[in-house]
Amino acid sequence: MPTVNVKWQKETFQGIEVDTSQPPIVFKSQLYTLTGVPPERQKIMVKGGILKDDTDWSTLGVKDGQKLMMIGTADEIVKAPEKGPVFVEDLPEEEQVIALGHSAGLYNLGNTCYMNSTLQCLHSVPELKSALLSYSDNVRGNGVDQASHNLTVATRNTFGELDQSVRPVAPLLFLQALRKKYPQFAQQQNNVYMQQDAEECWTQLVYTFSQTLASEASEPPAGPTKELFGIDLVSRVHCAESGEESLERESVYSLKCHISHDVNHLHEGLKHGLKSELEKASPSLGRTALYTRESKINELPRYLTVQFVRFFWKRESNQKAKILRKVDYPLELDVYDFCSDELKQKLQAPRQMLRDAENAKFGLKAQGKASSSKENEGSSSTAAESSSMDIDKADSSAPKKQLTGIYDLIAVLTHKGRSADSGHYVGWVKQDDGKWIEFDDDNPSIRKGEEILKLSGGGDWHMAYICLYKARFI
Amino acid sequence: MPSREDTNGGASSASPSEPAPPPQQQLAKAKGKKKDEKKDDDLSEDDRAFKEQLELYVVRAQDPDPSVQKLALESMRQEIRTATSSMTSVPKPLKFLRPHYGTLKAYFETMAESDMKKYMADILSVLALTMSAEGERESLKYRMIGSEGDIGSWGHEYVRNLAGEIAQEFQKRQYDDMPIDSLMELVQQIVSFHMKHNAEPEAVDLLMEVEDLDLLVDHVDSTNYKRACLYLTSSSKYLPAPDDMLALDIAFNIYMKFGDLASALRISLLLDNKSQYVKQVFTATDDFLLKKQFAYIIARHGLSTEIDDDIAADENEKEALQEIINNTKLSEGYLTLARDIEVMEPKSPEDIYKVHLIDGRGATSSSLDSARQNLAATFVNAFVNAGFGQDKLMTAPSDSSSSGSSGNWLFKNKEHGKASAAASLGMILLWDSDSGLAQLDKYLHSNDTHVVAGALLGIGIVSCGVKSDCDPAFALISEYINRDEPIIRIGAILGLGIAYAGSQKEEIRGHLAAILSDIQTPLEVLVFSAISLGLVFVGSCNEEIAQTIIFVLMDRSEAELAEPIMRLLPVALGLLYLGKQESVEATAEVAKTFDEKIRNYCDVILMSLAYAGTGNVLKVQKLLGICSQHLEKGEIHQGPAVLGISLIAMAEELGAEMAVRSLERLLQYGEQNIRRAVPLALGLLCVSNPKVNVMDTMSRLSHDADTEVSMAAIISLGLIGAGTNNARIAGMLRNLTSYYYKEAGHLFCVRIAQGLVHLGKGLLTLSPYHSDRFLLSPIALAGLVTVLHACLDMKSIILGKYHYMLYILVLAMQPRMLLTVDEDLKPLAVPVRVGQAVDVVGQAGRPKTITGFQTHSTPVLLAAGERAELATEKYLPLSPVLEGFVILRKNPEYHDD
Repeated sequence: MPTVNVKWQKETFQGIEVDTSQPPIVFKSQLYTLTGVPPERQKIMVKGGILKDDTDWSTLGVKDGQKLMMIGTADEIVKAPEKGPVFVEDLPEEEQVIALGHSAGLYNLGNTCYMNSTLQCLHSVPELKSALLSYSDNVRGNGVDQASHNLTVATRNTFGELDQSVRPVAPLLFLQALRKKYPQFAQQQNNVYMQQDAEECWTQLVYTFSQTLASEASEPPAGPTKELFGIDLVSRVHCAESGEESLERESVYSLKCHISHDVNHLHEGLKHGLKSELEKASPSLGRTALYTRESKINELPRYLTVQFVRFFWKRESNQKAKILRKVDYPLELDVYDFCSDELKQKLQAPRQMLRDAENAKFGLKAQGKASSSKENEGSSSTAAESSSMDIDKADSSAPKKQLTGIYDLIAVLTHKGRSADSGHYVGWVKQDDGKWIEFDDDNPSIRKGEEILKLSGGGDWHMAYICLYKARFI
Repeated sequence: MPSREDTNGGASSASPSEPAPPPQQQLAKAKGKKKDEKKDDDLSEDDRAFKEQLELYVVRAQDPDPSVQKLALESMRQEIRTATSSMTSVPKPLKFLRPHYGTLKAYFETMAESDMKKYMADILSVLALTMSAEGERESLKYRMIGSEGDIGSWGHEYVRNLAGEIAQEFQKRQYDDMPIDSLMELVQQIVSFHMKHNAEPEAVDLLMEVEDLDLLVDHVDSTNYKRACLYLTSSSKYLPAPDDMLALDIAFNIYMKFGDLASALRISLLLDNKSQYVKQVFTATDDFLLKKQFAYIIARHGLSTEIDDDIAADENEKEALQEIINNTKLSEGYLTLARDIEVMEPKSPEDIYKVHLIDGRGATSSSLDSARQNLAATFVNAFVNAGFGQDKLMTAPSDSSSSGSSGNWLFKNKEHGKASAAASLGMILLWDSDSGLAQLDKYLHSNDTHVVAGALLGIGIVSCGVKSDCDPAFALISEYINRDEPIIRIGAILGLGIAYAGSQKEEIRGHLAAILSDIQTPLEVLVFSAISLGLVFVGSCNEEIAQTIIFVLMDRSEAELAEPIMRLLPVALGLLYLGKQESVEATAEVAKTFDEKIRNYCDVILMSLAYAGTGNVLKVQKLLGICSQHLEKGEIHQGPAVLGISLIAMAEELGAEMAVRSLERLLQYGEQNIRRAVPLALGLLCVSNPKVNVMDTMSRLSHDADTEVSMAAIISLGLIGAGTNNARIAGMLRNLTSYYYKEAGHLFCVRIAQGLVHLGKGLLTLSPYHSDRFLLSPIALAGLVTVLHACLDMKSIILGKYHYMLYILVLAMQPRMLLTVDEDLKPLAVPVRVGQAVDVVGQAGRPKTITGFQTHSTPVLLAAGERAELATEKYLPLSPVLEGFVILRKNPEYHDD
């Protein structure tokens, strides 16, 4: 009976007797007692392979003192978990979106970046989205033409697709509806659809929404669009010559930032934009006279649209030329200075509250007061970001949300190139988590906050054309 | 005499009164006599007198009276011999005698055979040094006629000139089939002169010219044999095919002659017919400790050697040596290093990604698992914890529930991803076959085919480079080779290939060749069988296997050959001839008869692999030529050609640098399919050697608009930084993660590269070169080449379902350590100086071999281009190159103060 040494993992069992007349299973049971590895799990290396249970020992020629190696463990065999993990790659597209962290891009359908960037910017307004969602397919309000209705429906559908897709969306139907309603966007040159002014697209779209969405409510001026974007201006028209003075009220959807030589900052540009001179027939003088017109904001919207008047009609070249001047704009805009006295009065209290809250954050105010206002702010901010407008409304009624005149930048529409009808439009949209996404047609990419401020012009890089600010409530 | 020396020295400092700068003098010859006369006037008093005296000698030398003649000739000879000169000026006697060279020559012809004539011939021979027209070789001519006295007495310059003329004469005589015996006599003299005067390179050069290197062996002595051998071995890299082996052979003989056996062993590993030379080295000594050191060197090279009775008679000694050659203790040594450097703590992929350092735009953290990202994490985890035996994903902490986290992580991978995950366990337990096989065994009982396949591959990885008499890897794996499921077969076959790479194990050939010949074999199984055969029989020139693979290439249909994975079949064929140069030619001829779709492709691969690591400039040029062609669509042989350039040129530093520049050009002017291969080629050239210029190129290319180029550049960033922990590359890769956060494919590549940069937590290298960049491990190179060829089609192979091919890199993984052990092979800490290696080839004396060194205590890490030397006299290393395991012996002459 030869004795062998068996090596198992790091151990070696010396002098194990092998009964060559017995089948190998006997040897294995010997090892079982030593190692605790059940015989069926034992793999014993012998010449030319693994010792099988039916092998005859004599064929192997085991020598005295030979070293054998046994592999095997008594460990439990790994089993697949009952429920395997779900992989992102296996998910249907809609669910991948959540993982992606931002919505999809839009395909360029031939010089339609003006439209894509506009859509992406407007898409960032959750209240508008929910208002569109509740817009029904077949109910058409009175006084709304079919084309506007179709455009609104198409917008709703496109927004829906954007939210549900990882892959870029092709807004074909929307483009059709847009061109139907506003044939100027179907302008062609050499059989190619021309590049258009994004501002025009923006304005027309907002106007359309103001028509279609408002029509559900009975009163024309009310309605979500007005509430969201409308700015009420009160203007004092004054004639220096005759001393005439009159007040005019109007509602606009955007503030203009006029860019002249001494404008370096959005603030200055807005001031310019609110002041204008015009010639008109003076009833008292009986001829045309120069009037100055100074506007103040009387009512603030939830979303403030600021348009940089970067383009002017250049007669020589017969196109809209661009002012490349650098105009800085802030991530946080305070419009208090542009408000009418009446509105300023109203803003006083909430602004004080906001200031207190902010001071409290830095630990400057008494703790008790601070905590209460902080809670307040917390609830309001979450409410503002909630997607449903109805909830929003209900919410605002309870803790009474107030405008503060302070706005946060949430979207920028930029233009790159030398004239409005050429170049490239891109939308930059802030996400809920504070990241910015650059929507360059079908290719969204993540950007940083400081990169957004670099879009202020002064070169050939993308420069802000329309800024969308969101009101901060308290 | 002293006054002459003065003027001589003064000539170089050019005082205004005697403006006789040497270059002008040389010009004077061409410019005619007029100037010559003018110059005479500028001579100083002494010079003029000397000149006149020489002229007198010349006149007297032609005197009919032999005694006068003899006196004149002897004086002349005296003047010439005693003249000293600087490098830049011609000695005065030679200068003044120049105008009379013609006269003397003419007179010489008229002289009768006599001693006088021989004397005259000597002088003419020296004069010819400056006078003889190009190609006339008059110096040599008169030397042969002359008195054949001590050659060195005429000065160094004369000998050098003579050596040059001999080389020319030799060529001419060989061409004309004339006897060379008289020349060889002269050669003997010159060589012995050179060898005595610290001019080993010149001696070697001359002997190479006259194709008689054997002479060198007689002339070296114990003081200069090292320098001579160093020159021989380093010049062998630049010699054409048969000569280089000859030079190495001579170096081997010299080392053997002087008993420098370890150095001889290093050379024997470069020669063909290795085992015979290796045995010769072993049998030349009875020193058991030295034999152990030999075994370490052989183990590092990966040469599978059987210790027989000739090498060691004693059974115990045999076993001890075989154990070292089998690399059984590699894991232990590696862990010793790791403990010493304090990097035993396992690292998770997150520790490598360092997301917190990426500002704001890191990948969005999602609650969901991404199969691809998990797969990437699997690889990163495997690479980073390679060989440490513990990690945070696969090896379960024992205190957790019975199934352990390993099961959990395993099943966080999808399908073939599970195979890679299971195999990663093998990588983590690399070289530790005892516990590795035990841990992998349980996965073999799994009912998931992918897990079983992975476990088989893992078994192969664990046993990579580590052999055992029981041969557990083969026993465990071979049962699975002919299973039904292709994935299990692939796992088993690739596992065998990795475990037995370079071993030329016959049983494997039997098994795998049968699979290759079976027409029913699925394509992927076929390809992996071929690759495994290529790895196991790397550089063997095995005809039978070559035939089998060739039959497959001929038999399979065009559609099958068009499969992306099939591009690896010719690579497998090429591996058989890796570095074997001409041996490939027969096979290459056969390859010319292939289908035209793959003909060029096979041709390029065979050539580039056969000449890999040879530095053959002609082949590099040929490949560059291929790259300059404009191809019809669909041909894919330019990518391999680009890889081939760096494969061939990586042999030595100069060639590698030139290749880097050539590749830069290809990048600028090449077509897209060439550009795609360039990053990989650069990666191969500088593997584990992050040169700044290459790093910059890669950084640029990693943002390339072409996805294939950028992915290749990213992987190559990992390759050049492999195992270095290079902070700059790590930073680049971190930025790339945010740049490509949306591109799943790119992100995967970035992750792999990150894993590679931190390979073995920075303790490993992928460089196939070792032993002071002198030896090339064919196994390591085979591993690298296979993976790089797979990377040429990143999308369908690495990013497809064959990602486990990345594990083939394990063949190139080696600890980049210096571990000194005492006579009982226990680790021994001694101070060593580690610094940048300095090239000392052809330098006289004992120059410093490292610069900018720091003193550390072993074990210590060695970066690319670094060298170590002992900082203590207390011990003597048994290996000439301090790398890997080095046995230290106590210095008997050392006394503690």
